[in-house]
Amino acid sequence: MSIDNRKERPTIGQIMDENGVGRRRFLKYCAGITALMAMPPGMTAAFAQQLRAARRPTIIYMPFQECTGCLESLTRSFAPSLESLMFETISLDYNHTLQAAAGDAAEEARHEAMEEAWGEYILICDGSIPTKMDGIYGTSAGHSFTDQLHEAAEGAAAIVAVGVCASFGGVGAAYPNPTGAVGVSEIIKDKPIINVPGCPPIPEVMTGTLVSFLASGVPDLDNNLRPKAFFGNTIHDRCYRRRFYDRGLFAESFDDEGARNGWCLYKLGCRGPTTYNACATIKWNGGTSWPVEAGHGCLGCSEPEFWDQGGFYEPVTSKLFNDTGQIAAGAAAGVAVGAAAAVAANRRKKKLSGTADKETSS
Amino acid sequence: MTLLEFSRGPMLHFALFVFVFAVLWRLISTFMLGWRKRKSEWRTTSGSSAVKGAIAVGNRSWPHPEFLERTAFGEAVGYGYHIGLFAIILLGAPHVIFWKNLFGISATWWPTIPSGIIHVISVVTIFLLLIATIRRYMHPPLRRISNFDDWFTLVILFGLMISGVMAVFGLGGRYEIILAVHIISFNVLLIWFPFSKLMHAFYILPARFFIGYTHAKKGAST
Amino acid sequence: MSTATQNLSGAPAAEERLSPSEREERAMSEFAHHFGAYTATNLESCIHCGMCADACHFYIATEDPKYTPILKAEPFKQAYRRESGAFAPFYKLLGLKKKVTVDELEEWQELLFDSCSQCGRCSLICPMGIEVAEMIEIGRRGMAAAGLAPKALMDRARHQAETGQPEESEKPYPEVLREIGKEHDLEVKLDKDKADILVCLPRTDLDQNPESVAAMIKIFDRLGADYTFRSDALIAENYGYYAGSRGLQKRITSRITDAAKKLGASLVIVPECGHAYTALRWQAAEILGERLPFRVRHVTEFLAEQLEAGKLKLSKVNGDTFAFHDPCQLVRKGGIMDAPRQLMDAMDVDLREMHNKKGFSFCCGGGGGVNDLESAKDLRNRAQTMKLREIDDTGAKRFLTSCSDCRVSFNEAGENQDWNKKTESLIELVATQIKE
Repeated sequence: MSIDNRKERPTIGQIMDENGVGRRRFLKYCAGITALMAMPPGMTAAFAQQLRAARRPTIIYMPFQECTGCLESLTRSFAPSLESLMFETISLDYNHTLQAAAGDAAEEARHEAMEEAWGEYILICDGSIPTKMDGIYGTSAGHSFTDQLHEAAEGAAAIVAVGVCASFGGVGAAYPNPTGAVGVSEIIKDKPIINVPGCPPIPEVMTGTLVSFLASGVPDLDNNLRPKAFFGNTIHDRCYRRRFYDRGLFAESFDDEGARNGWCLYKLGCRGPTTYNACATIKWNGGTSWPVEAGHGCLGCSEPEFWDQGGFYEPVTSKLFNDTGQIAAGAAAGVAVGAAAAVAANRRKKKLSGTADKETSS
Repeated sequence: MTLLEFSRGPMLHFALFVFVFAVLWRLISTFMLGWRKRKSEWRTTSGSSAVKGAIAVGNRSWPHPEFLERTAFGEAVGYGYHIGLFAIILLGAPHVIFWKNLFGISATWWPTIPSGIIHVISVVTIFLLLIATIRRYMHPPLRRISNFDDWFTLVILFGLMISGVMAVFGLGGRYEIILAVHIISFNVLLIWFPFSKLMHAFYILPARFFIGYTHAKKGAST
Repeated sequence: MSTATQNLSGAPAAEERLSPSEREERAMSEFAHHFGAYTATNLESCIHCGMCADACHFYIATEDPKYTPILKAEPFKQAYRRESGAFAPFYKLLGLKKKVTVDELEEWQELLFDSCSQCGRCSLICPMGIEVAEMIEIGRRGMAAAGLAPKALMDRARHQAETGQPEESEKPYPEVLREIGKEHDLEVKLDKDKADILVCLPRTDLDQNPESVAAMIKIFDRLGADYTFRSDALIAENYGYYAGSRGLQKRITSRITDAAKKLGASLVIVPECGHAYTALRWQAAEILGERLPFRVRHVTEFLAEQLEAGKLKLSKVNGDTFAFHDPCQLVRKGGIMDAPRQLMDAMDVDLREMHNKKGFSFCCGGGGGVNDLESAKDLRNRAQTMKLREIDDTGAKRFLTSCSDCRVSFNEAGENQDWNKKTESLIELVATQIKE
């Protein structure tokens, strides 16, 4: 691992040059990123310049209650390309899944890297953090995850929470959440946090977020701290099957005429209308396909409480009223109270009009 | 629990409960107040009066031509936004799905209108509602007899319509927040319904029937 | 009876000495008498669309929003909401609907009496099917109970209940009737002990249109009907109904119904008077709480029946053109749609219909006691202007109607506005065209 002073680290431009990446290719990549992030085309050159000038960053990658799916997505989803190169250029100083070192050596390496780049490194978190019983549900090297997170966060310039678990608690936080699992933003309040949720997140979204952070700092975030550039639209809004929804054409089961015709999967539980992610535009596996295109509804994996939104195959609006007993009770009560009100009113009428005939004698 | 979940979960349940409970309360108590036994010598039998009453239920929907000269504009606006609202609520795809899910039915025969047309209808309906509101404010008798009920009902309707349009066109914020606002305004409408003039939806049939029936018995004009 | 003589001698009536809270209580108790499913449905239905204003001649003539018909029903509505509606306890508890106060009732006096002739046109326009006129009528009844009905109406009602005629007249009406008979050389059948038909007369005709009275006598003579007038039940009008007093209306109605019962009559003829028809045909049985042992028919209705039976033969009138005013109480509210036109057809009358005819006819402007209110003069004149214009628009030369109260109204309007037409009675026309 490099022990160079951070200032002497090469810029990304220099690394690109060393690897024989031409200016043209680099610009093309930047154009791709800026297009993804819906920046105006004129911004590409400036973005490229900023990115070239950025120094190779130090990254500390901390896994907590996680399944490694996000890392899988991040590392092996795409063919050798500029993205992977970009990824390689970042100095991944600590990731206990990837690194060769283990045990004390690994911990030492982490501390060393943190000290060297104190206040400047990017902390990537993966997995939820258990908080119940002082966090004993998740420990590493004798320290609870919460302690480790606090320690690592203190020297970070920014934190990127990858995956729905690190962002919002994910499966660890699903009902009944035995470990008291939460996302990073529940614990760390004094650092810029960028959530890149998903189960897993789209690789291009992860690298895109990192690159844009390098070039221009924390991007525009929504109120779930997700970059608006990738999480600004619902799946439903961008879905190629939207026109069927608009015409009221729905697949009613996975093997019916509607499913074969590629009609809207809303009724089969698609969470598209309430899910913000870029799947419908960026797609997966280098733009090959995505769940809805493969014939399955969106599960809503980039949303808070992803696991507790009801059955995957129930429509978004289902179970609005599953308690018919309640409405029957309301109806019965209404009839009873109405009848009682009428009886009371009739009694009042008798009392009030009792003197009405006085007028007759006048 | 997110706002959206709240709006279509507990709040919707509560609103539906209040709606059913209070609507029945009001209707039952009205119709149980006792009926006059009339003793005059009638021109028609009860049976044919009932037929006339039923006819009046339909007839009153169409204004007598004698009145049209003065009422045509108001009638047109009123008709316009009622038709618009019904088209949107009963034939708009998202609403149809909502009703089907709400009542747990799978009515395959239930038709929908293409979204593009619904969008146009929505905008026109809001416009007509706006005209109706302005008219309520400008037209002297209307203004004189308007009360909190009228204005508040309009506010809810505007909230409902505008949030609906915003949700569809993706305006003004995040979809699920706007959708939640839309559903919340629907819930507010449900809760307000039984206590307000919106009850005319239920009273219109008996009221028209009664006047048709009693006037038919006298041979009077309906 | 001692109070009666007091009233007749001009001493203040009992209700003029009522305290405000007593008035409120009496109004409320009268309102409560009218609470029920039918009125409730009417009151609950209003959507404040304001269309009833567009049916009301007083609103159309003035464009003053306070004449919106449903607004006139407000005191009754308020009482209902507070005491009888489904959520009455809440309205009461939260003070959302205040008690109907004397001040409010006094404020509403003009709206309920001066500016409503109970013509019922508003009930016809209401898209919800509210019988607006009936709600206003109940408002009148509350006012009368509270002693707040206009003195002009209340005094006459009381006088009529006591003596049989609304006001002192120079000569008692039976005598007037005899004189009219003498003048026209007709035999007046008055105070027979038994008769099949009891005929009443409008006091306005006895006072102002003796020709019309003579026409009635002539027609019934020619038909050879077994009929009689009765001194104790001569006057058809019911000022109790005008004033809104249930008690007085009942007593005045009883004069006629008792007389008819005593006679063993099978038919009571209401003369050319609209409100008399409503009071006797549609309200008598209700207010007395019993089925009447005789039929009640308006004279035009009766004559149309005779015409159909071939007993009445009419000759044709010469080529004049006629317009006809449909009296509200007879046509729109009373259901006599075709009888007057059958008679006119039989006389081959060249009828030029008004734009608003039959059930949609505009009121003469003076019905429902409005003619008797000095304070309503301006307002009714404005409504009448509109009506006269509509009559003129027909292009007809002569103008007919079948209600003496309407005639009074048109005569007044005609004088005020130098109108070139004379209002004629359909019955008079029938009498001149009747064949031997």
